[in-house]
Order: sequence, then structure tokens, then C-alpha cells
Amino acid sequence: MDAALAFKRWLFRLRGPETAPIVLTQRRVFVLPTRPGLLYAASLGVMLLGAINYNLSLGYALIFLLTGLGIVAILHTFRNLVQMEISPGRAEPVFAGETAHFRLTLFNRRSDGRYALALRLGENRMVTTDVPERAPATVQLPLATACRGWLRPGRITLETRYPLGLVRAWSYVEPDMRCLVYPAPEPNAPPLPLAGAGESGGLRSGRGTEDFSGLRGHQPADPPRHIAWKAVVRQGGIGPLLTKQFAGASAALLWLDWNDLPPTFGTEARLSRLTRWLIDAQSEGLVFGLRIPGKDIPPAQGERHFQSCLEVLALHGEEGA
Amino acid sequence: MANSTPHPAIHQVIHQAGRVVLGKERQIRLALACLLARGHLLIEDLPGVGKTILAHVLARLLGLNFHRIQFTSDMLPADIIGVSIFDRGTGAFQFHPGPIFAQMVLVDEVNRATPKTQSALLEAMEEHQVTTEGETRPLPEPFFVIATQNPSHQIGTFPLPESQLDRFLMRIELGYPDHAAERELLAGSDRRDMIATLTPCMEPGDMVELQSSLAQVHASDALIAYVQALAEHTRRAPEYETGLSPRAALALLRAARAWALLDERDMVLPEDVQAVLPAVASHRLHPAGGASGASAQEMAAALIGAVPLP
Amino acid sequence: MAKKARKKDEGAPLTRSHELWLIACAALTLAPHAVHAPLWLSLATGGMLAWRGLIWWRRRQLPPRWLLALLVLAGSVAVLATYRHFFGKDPGVALLILFLALKLMESRGVRDALAALFLCYFLLLTHFLYTQSIEVAGVTIAALVVITATLAGLAHAGRPASANLRLSSLMLVQALPFMLVLFLLFPRVQGPLWGLPMDAYSGLTGLSDTMSPGSISELSLSGAIAFRVKFEGKPPPHNMLYWRGPVLRHFDGRNWRPGRQTVSTELPYAAKGPDIAYAVTLEPHNKAWLFALEMPALLPPDAVISSDYQLLSRTLVRARLRYELRSHPGLVPGTEESTETLKASLQLPAGINPRARALAAEWRRQLGDDEAVIRQMLGHFRREFFVYTLTPPPLGKNGIDEFLFETRRGFCEHYAAAFVFMMRAAGIPARVVTGYQGGEQNPVDGYFIVRQSDAHAWAEVWLANKGWVRIDPTAAIAPSRIEAGLAAAVPEGEPVPFLVRSDLSWLRELRFRWEAMNNSWNQWVLGYNPQRQRELLSRLGMREPDWQSMTAALAVLSGLLMLALTAWALRRRIRLDPALRAWNRLSCKMAGIGLARYAWEGPADYARRVAEARPELAMEMERVAALYISLRYDRRKSRRDGLMDGKNEDGKLLQEMNQMIAGLKIHAAR
Repeated sequence: MDAALAFKRWLFRLRGPETAPIVLTQRRVFVLPTRPGLLYAASLGVMLLGAINYNLSLGYALIFLLTGLGIVAILHTFRNLVQMEISPGRAEPVFAGETAHFRLTLFNRRSDGRYALALRLGENRMVTTDVPERAPATVQLPLATACRGWLRPGRITLETRYPLGLVRAWSYVEPDMRCLVYPAPEPNAPPLPLAGAGESGGLRSGRGTEDFSGLRGHQPADPPRHIAWKAVVRQGGIGPLLTKQFAGASAALLWLDWNDLPPTFGTEARLSRLTRWLIDAQSEGLVFGLRIPGKDIPPAQGERHFQSCLEVLALHGEEGA
Repeated sequence: MANSTPHPAIHQVIHQAGRVVLGKERQIRLALACLLARGHLLIEDLPGVGKTILAHVLARLLGLNFHRIQFTSDMLPADIIGVSIFDRGTGAFQFHPGPIFAQMVLVDEVNRATPKTQSALLEAMEEHQVTTEGETRPLPEPFFVIATQNPSHQIGTFPLPESQLDRFLMRIELGYPDHAAERELLAGSDRRDMIATLTPCMEPGDMVELQSSLAQVHASDALIAYVQALAEHTRRAPEYETGLSPRAALALLRAARAWALLDERDMVLPEDVQAVLPAVASHRLHPAGGASGASAQEMAAALIGAVPLP
Repeated sequence: MAKKARKKDEGAPLTRSHELWLIACAALTLAPHAVHAPLWLSLATGGMLAWRGLIWWRRRQLPPRWLLALLVLAGSVAVLATYRHFFGKDPGVALLILFLALKLMESRGVRDALAALFLCYFLLLTHFLYTQSIEVAGVTIAALVVITATLAGLAHAGRPASANLRLSSLMLVQALPFMLVLFLLFPRVQGPLWGLPMDAYSGLTGLSDTMSPGSISELSLSGAIAFRVKFEGKPPPHNMLYWRGPVLRHFDGRNWRPGRQTVSTELPYAAKGPDIAYAVTLEPHNKAWLFALEMPALLPPDAVISSDYQLLSRTLVRARLRYELRSHPGLVPGTEESTETLKASLQLPAGINPRARALAAEWRRQLGDDEAVIRQMLGHFRREFFVYTLTPPPLGKNGIDEFLFETRRGFCEHYAAAFVFMMRAAGIPARVVTGYQGGEQNPVDGYFIVRQSDAHAWAEVWLANKGWVRIDPTAAIAPSRIEAGLAAAVPEGEPVPFLVRSDLSWLRELRFRWEAMNNSWNQWVLGYNPQRQRELLSRLGMREPDWQSMTAALAVLSGLLMLALTAWALRRRIRLDPALRAWNRLSCKMAGIGLARYAWEGPADYARRVAEARPELAMEMERVAALYISLRYDRRKSRRDGLMDGKNEDGKLLQEMNQMIAGLKIHAAR
């Protein structure tokens, strides 16, 4: 079994993840007839018997032309795949349970296009694409995710039956790419630990101070209590109404702490709960920090902060995080 | 041809500035290239490495008038743009221009101010004009903003949002001076005194002329293909979270043109692109998986190494 | 679940354009079959195609499967009714035609379409069972292009039709060399491999072994070629060109049939006199007859000669046959003949044609001499205003009487029959000889073409002191038929085959060219049999061309072709900037000392790096880099200067760059 596997790895040039760009050299492209191809060959055989039997000279010519066509089809199919360059692209992080999409870029350095290339990740659905001449094409390969952490797509099959469908040329590639899978957010989690500060450890800062920041022209939608009446009076009642503007976003500061979760929770349950809270806190525009064993992320705001928090949760306990 | 050879004075500027800001010729050149390309500069570094001095020296040598604004959390847009004050004598509002009305503006600790104030500044930078009370006022030409940002203290700051970072053509780090430079710094006279002794090498008009000669610097098809390949690579490669935008690619080409101009060439070489790439691209690119902390230099080097010259 | 499985089995569904292509393929494949298929089949097939087209046009549902099953059944019954059985060429082809038409009706997925297309390929082959002419080959090639384009469209939906057609043409052109090599070298086997069905060779036109009034004139309407002749020397005059076919002795009052005869491998007469060498390429006619110029001087291989001096093949001629011969024109075979034969040559049916018998008896009485009777008869034809025509009036029971005394209009078979009848009635042994007379030389390739319209019947009479003497009564009526051919002999306005008419010279010219082409086609394409293959290969220098050496040569040549095509497949058609090519060359050269350029390295940086590592190369490197920069990054400059044409300037720079790179001397060790 091991020997068979080793042979397969040698034959298909599988040496683990490859660094970009991967070029499909002729040694890596394999060609075999498809079922229609075998049918085609069989019907040529029957036709040959007929031509011999009836001494059809033109019949020979037709059969030989079709034989030539079959051979040419092999080379066309081979050519459609060979020397293609494949570069791994990015894969946006997803939550566990969602479908990850791995992007691959196919470069065609030839002056004619490549058509009907099918890519498949494992046993997943085929994705077909054309690669125009001298241009890259990007494909997204879907892969279902189950658990958090880095997800590697593994072996990708590239195949084509173009142009006649009689022959299948294929190659295996294993580009070095990975997708970050965040923990699945807990479906029915309790609300953010905002109020009961003492118990949950959530710390809530006061509402942002409403600082006066300036004046601008009044617009009908402005609340009347923001009209700068004093300025109006200063102008002697003439001139336009001005509206007072206030600075300072209402910001809440929130600590999401691993240790404040119920002690009965296991690692994954805690991660799942924290993920849910991170999402909630982000959507409410709060300032939040994250504290889990071995990692402290000081409170901050924004998309990047949110993502780094999620990443910490995704990679919790994994080496080389 | 004549206007595509750089002003000889610009070398004087580089030379003179190098005498005050020690061991930072590359940064000086980048700052000048940024200025030539009509961009703005973001310096991100620890306090005390000479950000203010660099700005001051450049303003002095280029003969530009210079304002410095220290951003604080209670600063309002009006504090930088200016306010209209009711003049009892004329019975009308009188606009009092804020500190932004200068040819070179140093904004210290840009991340201290609230987003509202920041965006007021960035709008002015982008449009080279300010609009208050329905009236549009142009800013002086040339107009060059050097903003500084302290990367270490995050609490109580408002880091510039990603979309706003794009408004800066370049982001550079000054870094500590090397051994020899620091020794010279310690042994030499006070930097601020030295600034006072500097005499301008150029007039503001020279700078505007130089800026307009930038378009004469030729970028061949092969070079444009290179810039495009770089941008496309960042959009595809898994190392980056988001790729360079078309605006970023344009910025890269403009900065490379300016760099070529500083090198007295009337055409852009791939080397020019590579020279400005770290400064132009580092604040627009983010490595995928936010936690991994590759420096801007490392990231740019990786990008250059990954894209063959077309 | 079951439904899902079936869906998967059908493959991807067909698009509308796929369907249209499929219909076109079927139409193109089936159309030439209409020539020979029974009328009901052509109508049914055409109807089904039209129906399928209507379904496509109106976006209707395909008919249900039970209806198709019913149609299959009905079609099979109809085939059975037409041919009485299912085996053999005609019913087989008819069934295939039906299946293809019905397959279109149920093609929903790609898999069905593939089956239909392979069936199309197969049906293309069946055209050749009926005719292998150039025209059919042309139609076949057109159909091949379309079918292959459809196949390409199935593998990649959504490409424009023109691209598919271009691709399929390209692939077929690339397949041509393989076809040639295989055609020439594939070891040929002489068929048939198994017994052929009886109807395999039906439908061939040609002489028959009976002659009745109208049988030859009917044949004369056909312009089809009977055989071609290539004379080695100067061709004999037209009136010597009697191509001997079946000899008919037995007369039943209407039909003439051959009598009993024996065959021999030896000539029954002594060949003497000057001879003419020629080669005949005989079209298949499903008979054993080998036509030869009277009288043959030798026997071709595998041939025998009958006691009536007719050459016969040992097997029926079912493929085009080429044989070389010599003949003695004008040879009278000799005076020895069996009494049995002579007796049979006097046979006459009793009780009919009394007036002819009476006239013959009267002449016999008056003249006495055999030769005088013959002269009297020929003179009679000439004197009594007999007309030589392709459209004689029909004759009744006493046909000879009616012809001789009433209608006086007839074609060669009428004259030959009347002549022989009169001779026998006068007591002179006589017989009818059928065959071909004349032929037309194609000035393009020198071949003589003998058509069915040259079919002829003449007479032989036995003169005791001479032997069998050829008498052609037609020559008495219409000498020009014998001298110049049919078109000259019959009155104007008669339905002479279009191609035989002599008045349209440009048409004749065209016809000659076309027939010369056809002849080469026959000689080299259709007539390429095991024997020809051996001849050709030994002429090409292959000693002892047996199947092993042919297979070896085939393998070698196919391998070479494969290599060439592989090279084409691996070729990258990218035109690099010549400056970049030179720059890459420099990098290759530098790689020898470990200073290859990094892919991302700019020219100035690279020059600097090399100069630092190898200061002795600094000057050259700097210059080459400067040239490269000005070519690749500063091209505008030379264009703009205007002093010299930018292209020329660039060319000079490039030349200098190439020279410098070529002249760069790099020493591995310092």
C-alpha cells in the first residue's frame, strides 16, 4: 500500500505544497482517452473492418483521417494544459461551517487561449474556466470548512477535455495556500456582557463626551436644540441659522475575557462564544479588547482590530500561530 | 528637454539637508520625491528621531513658509482650517485662516485628533483647498503636508482609517541613526541652531516648475507593464489582504517619476519603481492574517522579488 | 434517485446551438444517401429532420420515448419489407440512416449527441459503398469539418461557430499527414474478409449478357466510364477500336444470349502480325468480362479466354481492375472451329420473321457466294434509307421484319441482330458480338476513355476459307459512328449524353481535365490495393515490402509526425522585444560565471552588480545596460529627435547591443 502510494506520489510529482508559481511541465501532464474517446476508437475499428471487407479505398482514407484526428486531439488536449502557470491566490477567512473559496490564478503565457479548463478540489464540484491568451484568469475553488484554524486545500486536480472531448489531460497541483477559518460563532449566545461589569469583567467606559466642535450652516433636519442661538443673537437676528456640532463618538470600552466565561465551558465552546461576542461588539461599533490564555489584545476599534481578534481565536492552541 | 533636467538646486537641498539630518539621505530624497510628485508624506516613527527637524529643514531649504500643528484630542476642524469671526467694525464675518494655510505644514501626531479633525485635514490635502461657510479658499502652491504618527501608543488615539491612509503618497520611517551619524549628532552643534543658519536654495516657484516637469519624465510601455504587474500581483497573491488600488498604482508611477527626476533622468527605470515601492506601498498593503508582523521593507522586498520584470 | 442517475448518464444538457449543429451534421451526412436510398426512406428521414428542426425552432418538447420506439419498429418493418432481410449492405445502411434520424429525436444530453456524431462518422463511410467519386469525397470532407466542429462545440459550449469551424479545419489539416502515412503504409488486406451479401455490387451499370432491341441504346445514354486505356505507343485509329465483350449466339426471337462455350488458358488461335501494347483500367461491373482490343495476343494474369475469343477474369470484377495487354488488330483467328459451334451459329427460332427469311433465301438463291450475300445485305442497309438513331420505334413480335421492312430506324443492336438473322437465314454461320467501339482520348493525360455510350454490337460471320470475320453493319449505315463516335453519327437533337456532345468545345476541355483528374484519382486513390502498394513501396526503395517492414516504416513515420506535432504543442508563440531577447542572452552568458540576472532586477542595478563582481567587465556592462535602457525604457527619445527615423536609430542601437553581447569575453576564473 505504501509502495503504491509512493509510486503515485512519484508519478504525479506530489511533493507537498509547492511554492508559486507552479508551471505544468510536460512531465506533469497526463493524458488518457475518455469513455467517448474509447467509443470513438472502437467505432474506427469497426469502420476499418468494413472498409477492408468492401475494399473501400476512400473508406481507408476516411478512417485514417479520423485516426489522425484522434492523435491530433491528444496533442491539442495536452497542449491545452501544458505550460500553464498556476499561482495560489488569497482565500478570505471564513467562519467554520461556511464555504472557503480558494483563489487560483492561471497564467497563459501563450498567444492563443486555453479553453474549458476544469479545476476540482478533492471531491468537490468542478469549476471550469477559460484562460485568454497571455492573460491571467482567476478561479475560486469552494471547499467546505468544519473546524477552526488554518485550512489547506490539499491536492487540486486540473483537467481538460478540450477540444474534442475524446481525450482527458490532467495534472495535480498542490499549491502552498491556506485559508484562515475562524471559530463558528455560537448560535444562541447571551448578549454582550456590557452591563454587569463586576461579574462578567466587562468594563464599560462612559459615553463619549460631547464636545462642541464647531458651527455649520443650519439644515432643516438638525434638531432645534443644536441651533446656535447665541450666534444668532450676536448677528442681531439677521444672517443664516447656524448649527452647533459636537465631536466625540459614543464609544464603549469592553473586555472580552476567556476567564470570565462559565467554568463548565470547554475550549471550543469558549472560542465559539467569544467569536459571537466579537461579531456583536464589532457590529455595534464598540471599543473592545480580547483576553485569552497566552494572548492579550488591548482594546481598540476597527476592522483590522476585529480581524486580528478573530485570528487569535482561530489559531488558539495551534503552533506557529 | 531643458525642463526635464532637474533643478541643480535640488541637489543642493539634498546636500544641505543631509548635513543637518544625519544619515538619512534616502528619507530626504523620498520626502523630496513626494513633494515633487505633489503628494503628502506620512512619517511613522518614535518621538525624537528627527521628524520635526526633517520637515523644518526641508521647508527652510526650499524657501517654503512653514506651519506646525500639534494635533490633540480636543482639536476641532476650525483650529486648523480657520474661523470666521464677526467683525464689529465692518459688520461682517472675517475669515481668519488657520495654520493649514502654509506651503509646508507639519502635522505632529496626526492620530491624536478626532476623526472629524483628521478628515478635515485630509480633505484639504486631497483638494488643495478648504471650504468653510460655503466659501472655497485655495491653499498656497506648492502645498505639502508632512504628518507624523507615533506607532507605539495606541490607547487614546484615533489611528487613521485605511481609506484615509491612501491620501498620503508615501509613508516612511526614519529609524534610529546609525552609529557614526549618532556620534556626529552628539558631538555636533544643536540641530535647531543649525536650521536657523540654513539659507534657502530654491524659491517656491522653482518647486512648482519642477512639479510640472514631472509629466515629461517618460514611462515606457515596458515600465508601465511592470507597475501593472506589481499591482496585479498584490491583488492575487495570498500574502496580502487587499491589493493595491488603481490609485495606488498611479501613485507608484508618479513617485517613480519623481525619483527618476531626482536622479536627473528623463525616463523611469524599474529601479526607480523599486526604490519608491516600500514608501508608496507599505501603508496600502496589509499582510494577510493581520498578526504576522512583516515590516514595510520586508514586505516590499518580497513583492519586488516575486514579480519578474516584463 | 433513479432519475438523478439517468440525468447524470446523459451528461450535460445540450444548448440550442448544439442542437442546431447536430441537426446540420445529420442533414449533411444523410443528404448524399438520398441518391441511392429507397424513396420512402429518403422521405421519412427528410421528414424527421424537418420535424426535429421544427421542434428546435418552436422550442417544443422532444417526442416521448414510446413514440420513438414505435417509429423504430415501423422503420424496421419497412426495411424488412423493402429488402426481405436485415443483413447486407442496403438494409444495414437503411437501418443506420433511420437510427441517426431517430437519435436526433432523443438527444437531450452531451452523451447522446456524441453517439449521434459517431454514427455520423460511420454513415460517412457508408457513402463509399455506393460511390467513391471525387465529389463524394468533397462532400465527406465538408461533413467531417462540420461534425468535428460540433464535437468541439460540445466540449466547450459558448464559443463562436467560426472558431469551432476554424479549429476543426486546423485539426483535420494536422491529421492529413497521418492519413497519408497510414494510407500509404498501412498493410493492405485484399477483401472481402467474409462472404459479401449478394447485393453488394448491385447498381453497377454496364453491358449485360443478353441483348434485345433497345438494350444498348439505353446504355448509350449513360456517360459513365466503362474503362480507360493507356496505349504504349501511338494509339490505333478509331475504326480499329473494337473492344470485345460477350459473344451472343442464341436467339429466341427477341433476346440474344451467349451460347455454350469452353474456356482455356491458351490462346485458341495463333497470334501473328504487328501488335499494340496497352493497359486497361476497368471499372467494376460485377461480371467476369475483361474487355480487350480484338484480338488479344496474350492473357493477363488470372484470366482465361473463351472459345468465343472473349477474355474472362477468374473472379467477378468488383473493384477497379488494371491489366496490361497486347493485341493484334485485324487478326482473323483462324479457320478451325468445332462443328457444334458452327451449327449453333445457324440457330434460328421457328416461325417468326417470315419476310426476312424469304428475302435471305432469295438472295441465297440469286447470289450463291457467301461474301456476295454479305455485300448484298450491307448494300441493302445503305440503299434503303435506314436511319441510325438512338430512339427507334418499339418493335413487335416479328421484330426483324418490322425493322427491315417498315420502321427502318434502329441502333447498332438492331442492325447487328438483323444482319446476323439474315446471314443465318441465308445459311451463313453468324453471331452477335457485344462490347465497346471507339473511345475518346483525353489530351490532358493521354488516356483513352471508353464510356457506356460507346457500347456497341456488331456481327461475326464464318467464312470457310477465312474463319470468323468481323462485319459491322452499323458502319454501313453510319460510318461516322465507327470513325468518330456516337455524337457524330446520330442526327442532331437526339439525346446523346451531355458529356459526349461534340459541339461545346470549352465543355469538352473542362470535361477532359475533370476526367484526367478522375483517372488519377482512380489510379492512385481508389486503385491503391495491396499490389499497387507493393509496387509503389518497392519503387520507393523498400526491398521486400512485407507487412513487418511496412508496419515498422509506419511506426517510424508516425513517430516523427507525433514529434513534430508535440514540438508545435510545446511551442510558445510569444514575440519578445528584440532588446529583451538580447538582454536575456547576456544574462545567459553571465550565468556561466554565476552572475545571471535576477528576474526582478533592473538594468542599472544589474550592470552595477556585475561591475562590482567583475570590474574588468564594468565598461562593457555599463554600455550594454545603457543601450538596453535606451531601447526599452527610452524609446521615445529616438523617435522624437526627428533627425533620424526612430526605427533606424533603434535598429542601430540594437545592432550595437547584439555585437557587444556577442563580443563579450568572459573568463571563468579571475
